[in-house]
Amino acid sequence: MKVKNRGALLGSRILDLLTIAVVAAFLFPYLFMVSSAFKTRLETFAYPPVWLFRPTFEHFQNIFENMNILFYMKNSTIIAVCSTLLTILIAIPATYSFARYRFRYKEGVAYGFLFLQMVPGISIVFALFFIARALNLFDTHIFLIVIYLLWNIPYAIWMMRGFVEGIPVELEESAMVDGASRFKAFRLITLPLMAGGVAATAILIFIGVWNEFSLAFFLTSTKARTMPTTIAFFMTHSGIKWGPMFATATIGTLPVVIFALLVRRYFISALTFGAVKG
Amino acid sequence: MNSDIRSQRRRPAWLAPAILILPAFAVVFAIAAYSAFSLFQLSTVDLTFGEPFRLAEGVGLQNYRWLLTNEHSTFGATVRITIHYLLGTLIPELFIGFAIALLLNRKMRGNSLFTALLIIPVVLMPSMVGLIGRLYFSYDGLINFFFESITGIRHNWYGKDLALVAVILVDIWEWTPFFILILLAGLQTLPVEPFEAARVDGASRWQSFTYLTLPMMLPLILTTLILRFMDVLRLFDVIFVMFSGGPGTATTTLPLYVYRTTLVQRDVGRGSAASIMLIIIIVALTVILIKLRERIKFEA
Repeated sequence: MKVKNRGALLGSRILDLLTIAVVAAFLFPYLFMVSSAFKTRLETFAYPPVWLFRPTFEHFQNIFENMNILFYMKNSTIIAVCSTLLTILIAIPATYSFARYRFRYKEGVAYGFLFLQMVPGISIVFALFFIARALNLFDTHIFLIVIYLLWNIPYAIWMMRGFVEGIPVELEESAMVDGASRFKAFRLITLPLMAGGVAATAILIFIGVWNEFSLAFFLTSTKARTMPTTIAFFMTHSGIKWGPMFATATIGTLPVVIFALLVRRYFISALTFGAVKG
Repeated sequence: MNSDIRSQRRRPAWLAPAILILPAFAVVFAIAAYSAFSLFQLSTVDLTFGEPFRLAEGVGLQNYRWLLTNEHSTFGATVRITIHYLLGTLIPELFIGFAIALLLNRKMRGNSLFTALLIIPVVLMPSMVGLIGRLYFSYDGLINFFFESITGIRHNWYGKDLALVAVILVDIWEWTPFFILILLAGLQTLPVEPFEAARVDGASRWQSFTYLTLPMMLPLILTTLILRFMDVLRLFDVIFVMFSGGPGTATTTLPLYVYRTTLVQRDVGRGSAASIMLIIIIVALTVILIKLRERIKFEA
């Protein structure tokens, strides 16, 4: 009996180690990239790779002083924050409508939104390029902010609908029996209860816009360029400037990683448009 | 109460929900309709990228016909590469992801931390992921270092034989956690009773896996596959940054084909026609998959 227990314990220890190894394997490419941001050029290209080295901050200094990275961070922040806020503002009433009312063609309209969400950015980006030129909106923040709504609003509706449907409708009804208007019942009861879900949705939309590449790359040139598209600047005729690029990637991914870990409770619903609860 | 009844009589029942949806509907469908209209218009002209639109010459549906039937068109080859890319990513991601989800589905200290850390690859900037891939798969890169340590051989991942494998491997790294996270969430919500009953009846672990876990997980597995299918089919940034569709056409999946036709060959008409076909392919296949999943759900 004792021997068998020990065997089971050993087996479970092996599985524990395996789990840790698997997670480490998935994190490794990212961590190695971050560590490369602190390497000199020679160390980046060393073969076999260098594991221990004295960290240098020259690349970070370089991107802030010479490549004006703060400007691109500012653009990314403006576009991501504005597009996210607009999305939430427009999507909340629609979400409420889908979650609380019954009307004809409801699911049809909901799926209509979902299908538009599927349209690949790259497939309409060149049409949008011509539109932007015609409207004199090429390379502006506002154009990207508005265009992203095409994907963000359907996503927000599908995400938040589940959160609203999870709040018992009886709470609102009892407030209305007590004389509150429907809007007041929503504002005082449902809205505070769905606040967590709204915040999570907002953060995930922010991440999506912050990371978005195809549209930002082809619809901006100098004034509204965002962080993910700066990679083009690191590909020069004399080769790729790996050090500054890794420094930029490190700074660009840091807020996203922190945000994602903050809302990890909602992450499964986020990945599945609210179809699966985590 | 009295005023409530009166106001309800004045307003039809559909009015309130319609007004609430209207802003979202107007914005989304306006953008979509405007882009769809100009995309279709562009797909029916002969225009070199960079020239003003007034020089465009209407050619009707010739662009579509050229893409589908002309012997110089590489559209068919692109579809084939896209299918390889789809199968090469989705199948390993599903199997590895499910296996790891089963591994993580045990009581273990730090488990919630591990699942949280697995979020990281999924939320990284794709353009940066592409660049990481580009460096790691270079001849003196990390991947060759590991390969040489194990097999003694270094490969040329930038060559046309292995470039597609390289972008597939990057996708597997980035998106297997997607399967892990969702399937693990599913495993954790499975009811306990059937498994206990099976154990009492003397079922082996393998039996309870194949007769209980798998059938109960099937709908979720299909949902996850559909979501990933849509995403893989429209993936652009990682491949663009790693190899921009090359060498030759080795990594030219449909989204890359749209880009190369429009901007590299500067053929706006054919590029737009390819765009429309890409949209139709994605929406049609996804609708079919959703219908298929519903049917399986009912049978299960």
